[in-house]
Formats: sequence, C-alpha cells, structure tokens
Amino acid sequence: MKKIVIASVVGSIAFLNGANFNEEAEKDRKALIAYFEKKFADKKNAALYFPYTPKEELENNFRWGIKWEEFRLGSYAFNKTGRAQYEEMNEFPPYEDNIEAGKELYEKTKFKSGKSFKDCFPDPAIAGDYPKYIKGKGVVTLGGAINNCLVENGEKPWNMNKGKMADLQAYFAATSREKGKKINIVIDSKEAAEAYARGKKAYYSQRGYLKLSCATCHVQGAGQRVRNEYMSPLLGHVTHFPVYRLKWEALGTLERRVKGCNKDQGETPHKPGSQWMNELAYFMAYMSNGLPVDGPDIRK
Amino acid sequence: MKKFFLAAVVVAVAATASMANEDLVKKGRKIFMTKKLGNCLACHDVNGDKVDGPGSLGPKLQFLSAWPEQALYDKIYDPYTTNPLSAMPPFGKNGVLSDEEIKAVVAYLKTIN
Ligand code: HEC
Ligand code: HEC
Repeated sequence: MKKIVIASVVGSIAFLNGANFNEEAEKDRKALIAYFEKKFADKKNAALYFPYTPKEELENNFRWGIKWEEFRLGSYAFNKTGRAQYEEMNEFPPYEDNIEAGKELYEKTKFKSGKSFKDCFPDPAIAGDYPKYIKGKGVVTLGGAINNCLVENGEKPWNMNKGKMADLQAYFAATSREKGKKINIVIDSKEAAEAYARGKKAYYSQRGYLKLSCATCHVQGAGQRVRNEYMSPLLGHVTHFPVYRLKWEALGTLERRVKGCNKDQGETPHKPGSQWMNELAYFMAYMSNGLPVDGPDIRK
Repeated sequence: MKKFFLAAVVVAVAATASMANEDLVKKGRKIFMTKKLGNCLACHDVNGDKVDGPGSLGPKLQFLSAWPEQALYDKIYDPYTTNPLSAMPPFGKNGVLSDEEIKAVVAYLKTIN
C-alpha cells in the first residue's frame, strides 16, 4: 500500500512538472528502434520477419546489421541494388535548383504587409522542429507554419504538396542539414500528448477499402515488397523531405507522399493541413526524433 | 446408334464445360494480375509470373489445386475469418470483387500446383 502511494506521489509530481508528457511517445520511439534494429540485425531472424521473401533475395540483396541512424535512407538502408541506383542518382542531385529557388523565396519575397519570411522564420534551419503543437492552433506542420505566415501577412496560402512550398521547405531542410540539426519534436502538454496519441492511432488503423494500415506496410511490411517495390521503415520517414521523386519528376512534400499511400490503401486521400494529416505527421516525426535532418533527397 | 449418339452428346457437353472453365480461368488470371481489380500479384508469387513483381508481402501461392473451392472463396472474400491478423485485404466483404469475379479467381487458383 505504502509503495503504491509513493509511486503515485512520484507520478503526480512528475506530472505537475510537465516533465513526462512525452512518456508514451518516448516508449514507442525506443520500441520502434529496437524492433527495426532486430528485424534487420541478421538473416537468422528472417523466418520471423520476412516469412515470404525468397531465400536468395535475403542472401544476395540484403544488407544486415543496420543501425538506428541508417534507417533514414529508407529502403536503401537494406536493399543493395536500390542503394547502388540511389547513389548514382545522387551524383547529380536534381533538387539543387529547388534549394536555390527556395533561398530566393526566403530572401526576396515581400508580403503585402511589407514583411517577409525572415520575419516569421528568422532562422531558416528549422526543418527538424516541425510539426509543433501550438496552443489554440493544434498541430502545425512546417507547411502549415509557412501558410500561416503567408495568410497572417495578407497573402494567399500555397499548395501544400509541391511547387513553391516544396522549394522553400527544401531550402529550410538543406540549411538544417548543413548546420547538423536533428529532428527535435516536442510534446510538452496534455493536449500535445493527446494529438500524438490520435496520430499514432491513425497510423495503426486499417484504412480504406483495402483495410491496410500504414503499419501493415511500413512496420511489419518494411523490407518486404509490393510488386517490385521495397517498403521503407517508418523509422526515418520524415528525415529527408521534401523528396524529389522520379515518378513525379519533381519535388514533393511529406503530405504529397502520404496522399499517394492513402490512394494505394483505397482510401480517399486526407487533405494536407487537415487535423488528421497534421497529427499523423506529428506521430511520424516523433518516431524519428534525434535523427539528423537529411533533406531534400531523392526517391524512385 | 443410340449409344453412339449419347456418347457424342456427353463429349460435346464436356467440351463446352471445359471451354467455359477455360474462359473462367482466363478471366480469373486477369483479375489476379490487374492493378485495379485483385492486384493479387502485388503480394503473391504464382508460377514465377513476372508482371512488375511479384511482391513478397504474401506467401508464394502453390498447391492450391488441393484446396476446396469454398476455402479459396472464403480466403478471398474475407481472410480475417481464418486469420484475424491477415495483411490481406477482404476483397469480397469490401466489395472490390463481385461474387462472380471471386468465382473466376477461384477457378484460376484451382489450376495452381
Ligand atoms: C500497400 C502498402 C502501403 C501502405 C498501406 C502504405 N504505404 Fe507508404 N509506401 C508504400 C510503398 C511501396 C512506398 C514506396 C517505397 C518506399 O517505401 O520508399 C511508400 C512510401 C512511403 C513514404 C516515403 C518514404 C520515403 O523515404 O520517401 C512515406 C512517408 C509513406 N509511404 C507513408 C505512409 C503512410 C503515412 C501510410 C498510411 C497513411 C502509408 N505510407 C501506407 C506502400 C504503402
Ligand atoms: C496486401 C497484400 C495481399 C494482397 C493484395 C493479396 N494477398 Fe493473399 N495473402 C496475403 C497474406 C499476408 C497472406 C498470408 C496470411 C493469410 O493467410 O491470411 C495471404 C494468403 C493468401 C492465400 C492463402 C495461401 C496459403 O498458402 O495459405 C491465398 C489463397 C491468397 N492469399 C489469395 C489471394 C488472392 C486471390 C488475391 C487477390 C484477389 C490476394 N491473395 C491478394 C496478402 C495479400
């Protein structure tokens, strides 16, 4: 009895300090890292994690012993042929012009109010700090913050998926990478913890008429293929956006990519900027906490 | 003469039946391979068929000719009945494939050894 009382006192003190609103998230993050490191440690575990993958493929095309930081490479962390193609593609990165264009937007755009992006974002190395939970606004993604800045200064919001939005985010990401910034998602209130919990639930729920969850493909399914395409792990997913996709022949944001996966699940895509999308992104980003910002990047 | 006649009828009926089955198998295979229909190849290897895949999310399909038709039908209609944690979509329950289409797919699966 006494022990329980002490435990609950300790619990409530921590609660009052607000020190552990991220407790659940932190537990989830560590469990996810452990899961993926174990899954890709050794082909000895393959029967459990890759029950249907042909043996030759596991022998010949997989790299093993993958550590936490490497998962930001997505499927290129373990897929040897994919990795070789990826390195070739990155010799002449197709997103250099986008970073330049984003820098122009950041430095030269003048709003109707007379202000500029510099007034909203004095430091451009902020790609790892979003999404943020902001009281009264809920979860705000980097795209959301950019659009809030535009609207508050009398401008029209941008398309969240591509174009100028992707260019400006590319500049923010490149600057963050240059400065060695990490993904740094904060959960410091009860409301933020609740938003995180909803995002997590969305990620693990079966969606669309195909009844697949994001986790079917990017947790259990990571490392397996749909058709010829290896599915990448959730861990590291947000680190390298915006991404230049060969399929798009253009740069796109995380929201744009999630829209594509929504369609693959047979679900009507959720709107970028919607509460659903923002909270899902909040959960996804927290899972990558501590990993280096590594965008923009290139994907098939 | 009468006997001969009967035999001819029997042969003719059997021939139409197998023609119909062949068409059904063909139709089922098409559903299996087509992205907007079953898209089964996205997850399953069959006979080493390669159409931009096959994927490795589901098992290689083999020896299905030994399965009762009903079991195959049920697997496609709603895999959760036999495996509540299945990553396979419930193609009948969710209305992606009609009863007729599932029967065609079953006919195709029955040819897989
Ligand atoms: C049917 C399987 C499937 C489902 C379900 C699915 N995805 Fe994907 N996803 C893929 C494939 C295949 C790719 C492309 C290969 C890869 O993983 O990089 C991809 C790519 C991605 C990427 C880009 C990774 C990168 O490094 O560029 C993100 C982010 C992503 N998915 C998020 C999601 C989210 C969020 C959901 C749920 C709302 C989801 N996916 C549901 C199959 C799926
Ligand atoms: C998103 C992935 C996915 C798709 C698409 C898919 N399946 Fe499956 N299928 C699975 C998985 C995973 C299993 C193993 C678990 C189970 O038996 O439910 C499976 C199992 C099966 C089995 C049982 C095989 C055995 O040896 O036990 C059959 C038969 C089957 N699928 C047929 C089909 C057909 C026909 C289609 C298309 C109409 C299809 N599947 C589409 C993932 C998929």
